[in-house]
Amino acid sequence: MNKLQNFLDVKLMPIAGRISEQRHLQAIRDGIILALPLLIIGSFFLIIGFLPINGYNDFMAGIFGPSWLDKLLYPVGATFDLLALFVSFGVAYRLAEKYKVDPVSAGVISVSAFMLATPFHVSFTPEGAGKAVEVGGAIPQALMGSQGMFVAIILAILSTEIFRKIIQKNVVIKMPDGVPPAVARSFTALVPALAVIITVWVLRLLIELTPFESIHAIVKDLLATPLSYLGGSLWGTLIAVFLMMLLWSMGLHGDAIVGSVMAPIWLQLMDENRKVFQANPNAELPHVVTQQFIDLWLNIGGTGVTLALVLLMLIRARSKQMKQLGKLAFGASLFNISEPVVFGTPIVMNPTLLIPFILAPLVSVVITYFAMDWGWVAKPNGVLVPWTSPVLVSGYLATGGKISGMVLQAVNVVVAMLIYYPFFRAWDKKKMEEELSSEKTAEPAVKTNTLDI
Amino acid sequence: MRNILLVCAAGMSTSLLVQKMEKEAASMGHEGKIWAVSVDEINAHIDSADIVLVGPQIRYKLPKLKELGNEKGIPVEMINPSDYGMMNARNILEASFKILDGKGA
Repeated sequence: MNKLQNFLDVKLMPIAGRISEQRHLQAIRDGIILALPLLIIGSFFLIIGFLPINGYNDFMAGIFGPSWLDKLLYPVGATFDLLALFVSFGVAYRLAEKYKVDPVSAGVISVSAFMLATPFHVSFTPEGAGKAVEVGGAIPQALMGSQGMFVAIILAILSTEIFRKIIQKNVVIKMPDGVPPAVARSFTALVPALAVIITVWVLRLLIELTPFESIHAIVKDLLATPLSYLGGSLWGTLIAVFLMMLLWSMGLHGDAIVGSVMAPIWLQLMDENRKVFQANPNAELPHVVTQQFIDLWLNIGGTGVTLALVLLMLIRARSKQMKQLGKLAFGASLFNISEPVVFGTPIVMNPTLLIPFILAPLVSVVITYFAMDWGWVAKPNGVLVPWTSPVLVSGYLATGGKISGMVLQAVNVVVAMLIYYPFFRAWDKKKMEEELSSEKTAEPAVKTNTLDI
Repeated sequence: MRNILLVCAAGMSTSLLVQKMEKEAASMGHEGKIWAVSVDEINAHIDSADIVLVGPQIRYKLPKLKELGNEKGIPVEMINPSDYGMMNARNILEASFKILDGKGA
């Protein structure tokens, strides 16, 4: 075991480190995190707007007037629907921070580059007209949301790279001493900002010469669509989850490492569901696998459906150590924090428990995927329930108030308990034998030994 | 006064440990701040810390964090995984005091 541990420390650790330390991936992850509080707030309004109660709509309309829902959803338009804009600023900011160049300047330049890549016209069908007309001078809301996110990320990285290279080469306008630093900084950003704007401008002009109409169209065809097939498919998800679990079994934060690659994809899929749901709460939602799928139906009790293991410890443990750990880890597990049980049992590098730890979430992926795909269980509707929300509550909220979402979580936990059970028994027995041999005196541990099955 | 900063991926599981450590530290007569942040926020916090303890699940970041600690002259250590899992606050406190004493702080 020690040899294996050594091998992993030498071989795997640097790879995990490199992936998670990779500047651009890290900036993407942190930039997106910047928008999460806003998405959670937006979700709050979505939940209130679509409470699944009979007659709720009429009741609200009676009090607040017929357009109550539109008004209630104003904040959704300023949170979810501007996701790409936040990401555009956030990714550039975080990346510039890593290069130790002025992050605020990098952020606004990136937003400007993103807007420059976005055609300012929308197609609009006037009432009574048969054909849509192009209206100029409008920022298309669709491209400011998750649909524009990949373009925002790419341009944030491109513009910040140009920005920092020019600053680091010191091709900047310098102000004489005595000029206030804030003023001097804005002049420092002048040359690099010009370089960014010209680059993106030329890029857009060139693209407009091709059959593609905008950078958005190219990125969608070449990147966003293929990626979302991959991230939204059963196989893609199984592979991503397997990698997460493999990393966790070495005691590494698999979600943080794999998530830096997958989060943009899963978040975009989630938001596509949200848009469909918001337009019509009874419509068929397009995607099964979203960020919520991972957070709320697999990471129950934290990674590895470990709530199942903690429950087994609470109701079936005979060794003192497992009993104590069960009590200790239960509170954390309820809020999906798995470190106490992962390191305390331990599951890390433990050949007995690694099998169920990896198997339980994979089985949950399959169950959840088909239950939702076949329409037995409501799909997550794009509401961003924080990953720390307790099980059952989270399943109810994330499906737009459907009991089926809750039931599926319970099913996943029960299935995971069955998977864990034999392995847990073996480990518990081993711990008990260790305890008995270390203290030969008669202990209450023996007396409680009546739960044998 | 010894200020202990804990970091992990989101600052969640370490913040659980902080509660236990504060209780234990009070009973040991220790004064000073113990707090937890996510690893991304470490730059804003490291200067007010005397020692940084890193959750084992982000130990792939340890080399980078140690580098940062070296620059600042602040020891950066990984928390023993089994102490971390069992939330064994006393062991963790004792281990970090040992390091701080060894450093002559």
